[in-house]
Amino acid sequence: MYKLIKTPFGEISSFVVRTTDNACIPFAPDNTDYQQFVRDIKNGVELKDAEGNQMTPEQITTFLETLP
Amino acid sequence: MATYGQINADNLTSSTGGVISPNITSLRNRIINGAMVIDQRNSGGLITNPTNQQYLVDRWQYEATQTSKVNIQQNYNSVTPPVGFTNYLGVLSNSAYSIVATDIFDVRQMIEAFNVSDLGWGTANAKSVTLSFQVYSSLTGTFGGALKNSNQDRSYPFTYSIPVANTWTTISVTIAGDTSGTWINNTNGVGIRVVFGLGVGSTYSGTAGTWSGSNYYSATGATSVVGTNGATFYITGVQLEVGAQATSFDYRPYGTELALCQRYYEKSYAQSVAPANGALSDPRTGIVTGIVTGIAESNIFRFSVTKRTASTITFYNGSSFSTPGQWAVFVGGWVQGATATSALYDNYFTVQVSASGFTANTSAIVSGSWSASAEI
Repeated sequence: MYKLIKTPFGEISSFVVRTTDNACIPFAPDNTDYQQFVRDIKNGVELKDAEGNQMTPEQITTFLETLP
Repeated sequence: MATYGQINADNLTSSTGGVISPNITSLRNRIINGAMVIDQRNSGGLITNPTNQQYLVDRWQYEATQTSKVNIQQNYNSVTPPVGFTNYLGVLSNSAYSIVATDIFDVRQMIEAFNVSDLGWGTANAKSVTLSFQVYSSLTGTFGGALKNSNQDRSYPFTYSIPVANTWTTISVTIAGDTSGTWINNTNGVGIRVVFGLGVGSTYSGTAGTWSGSNYYSATGATSVVGTNGATFYITGVQLEVGAQATSFDYRPYGTELALCQRYYEKSYAQSVAPANGALSDPRTGIVTGIVTGIAESNIFRFSVTKRTASTITFYNGSSFSTPGQWAVFVGGWVQGATATSALYDNYFTVQVSASGFTANTSAIVSGSWSASAEI
């Protein structure tokens, strides 16, 4: 499971938190944890927004389009 | 003018039987941590039932299609290592599992493409390589493994024999370079996958000694270590080098080997401490400064070695605190706060801690630990 977070200035950060171990994963295409994150959320693994709400499949699809 | 003699020989042989390489280079052995010396994640501790793709000693990874079949540890069971070595990677089978066609159990290392780009694989000028290692098992017979490309659509299964149980055996396998397929070179991606099978089903086992367009992890008929309860498999001295002959193991200084490993994984802990929440009582990590009310950021944490790519950062709390992964900050008293990165690059990261008590432009001591992973 994953969770987005915001910067102190309200922007979505350029990394995601893997909630099982609190690891911060950068949105870096060469990072294998990032590659797994993309595979996971495409396969339906839970992604929460920065407020802690579970994102819908439609929201995740839109979010994926913003990733590198 | 002085006159010097000449050495006319095909090779030079050491007292322990290895051939001394006539071509000393700084990375003769393309395998990192082939002597299984560096173990940053576990600090020598037992890994009970490792999960699929879990890292073991540095750079070595376990793969498994079934759970709970082995335990793995640096120097498991403390047998005497082979002459010239002090460490090995030990696998214990903890069940008698009958593999099915699609099963895969192995330990592997993925070599970064930058480090094998000179091999010319995938071209007519592909160079031969030799894989050598020391192996010890409670089982005897024919064992297997494979070399594979990044896309796993080129593979070369190989076999080797362990004729005597519980005795170190020196193995050398020469592999003609692959003139076909797509091999990544000169990037930070996967150059070559080096796989040692512990039990591989028929779907992923192929004919030994030839390149194939299939995804093979081992050779047909190889012994299954996971098939025997209590079976052991120990390995060290793994070397992959250019040429058709195994040379003596390429010992590198400890600091050099550690630095090579740290391109892929680094931790804030001492090498003797395995990263974990509560592993240290009260590590002073640095200073954070409030940037807005309730949120503070650190200065940069520069890595000892530039990473392969932007790293995944995991945070760990000290033992005086209970919430996993949260660092503690001193704001008149110690409090834990949600901890995350605020910048992540291949050479540094910064930390953001959210905790009440911060106001902008005030600073505080912070306590916690971290690890960074940029594995392939």
